[in-house]
Amino acid sequence: MRNVSILLVSIMILLLAGTAMADQKVYGKGVSGKELNVISEILADPDVFIGQTVRVKGIAVAGCAHRGCWLNIASDKEGQTIRLQVKDGEIVFPPEIIGETVIAEGVWTANQYTLEQTKAMCAAEARKEGKEYNPEEVITCKTAYQISGTGVLVVKK
Amino acid sequence: MKKFRKVCRWLHREAGFLAVGLTLVYAISGIAINHAHHWDANYSRTEEVLQIEPVGILPTAEAEPLVLDRLGITIPVKGIWRDSETLLQIFLDGVQYDVNLESGRVIRQGFAKRPLLYDVNFMHLNSGKKIWTVIADTYAGILILLALTGIFLVKGRKGLSGRGGVTMALGVVLPVVYAVLIRIQ
Repeated sequence: MRNVSILLVSIMILLLAGTAMADQKVYGKGVSGKELNVISEILADPDVFIGQTVRVKGIAVAGCAHRGCWLNIASDKEGQTIRLQVKDGEIVFPPEIIGETVIAEGVWTANQYTLEQTKAMCAAEARKEGKEYNPEEVITCKTAYQISGTGVLVVKK
Repeated sequence: MKKFRKVCRWLHREAGFLAVGLTLVYAISGIAINHAHHWDANYSRTEEVLQIEPVGILPTAEAEPLVLDRLGITIPVKGIWRDSETLLQIFLDGVQYDVNLESGRVIRQGFAKRPLLYDVNFMHLNSGKKIWTVIADTYAGILILLALTGIFLVKGRKGLSGRGGVTMALGVVLPVVYAVLIRIQ
């Protein structure tokens, strides 16, 4: 009985060590190919890509601190980012990923907001940037584009 | 019945010993995660405001070395990002600097894994998947076994037909009532 216990514990430790040493820089399903879309090209004509699987590369510059359910990925153009959203709990991005260069894959989607929601978003943006906000100036509804992410791979720069 | 009770006692004892460590992991993490809306159970975070001599609105390639020098950063950075005309972000392991190039105001945000809690939460939430899924499922099975065999350990007044039965009913009624309440809300 004692030998069996020792054997079981040893097997478990070996399996755990194997898991811990495995490549942990893959989140979700990872990425399925090498061809990349250019972020600035997607953002230049976002409606063209709706429903398509896209794969982008960039620095993860911001993330959801609470649940790790989204990342902002830096574009090839300064000041431009793309949002990668994943299902809550399905993939959890830790804070360590911020600053890393990642390849993210998912489906490009568009969410149409109502005028009320658009105004609320503009107000929040203005607060964040310390700018003045006039709700009367917001007359068109906003469409938020994002990648509904299925996987991320952390790569060396 | 006597033999059945004997088997239950044996199973409960052996499985019980095996479950001690894992129960502590899940219980400690359970308390931490229950209060996830009050605090970050995995990471401790810090934020401080610093001031450096402003480098001015320069192209990123020119601003970058100046900022790194003025912040005294000599180790390799993970990444640098020009978020806007005035904001340059510098990412290092566990630290992020948001540098206002115009004013020289710097926000330094740091984070670190909480000792022990990060690890138990990682296990509890099965963040690693793979082999831990098997271990966690096995543990759940052991808990079911402990619960069922526990019912038959004691006979008489303190057992299922007496006080034990009443406390067991309480433990069953509690989640049932709660489930009903959240459904009718």
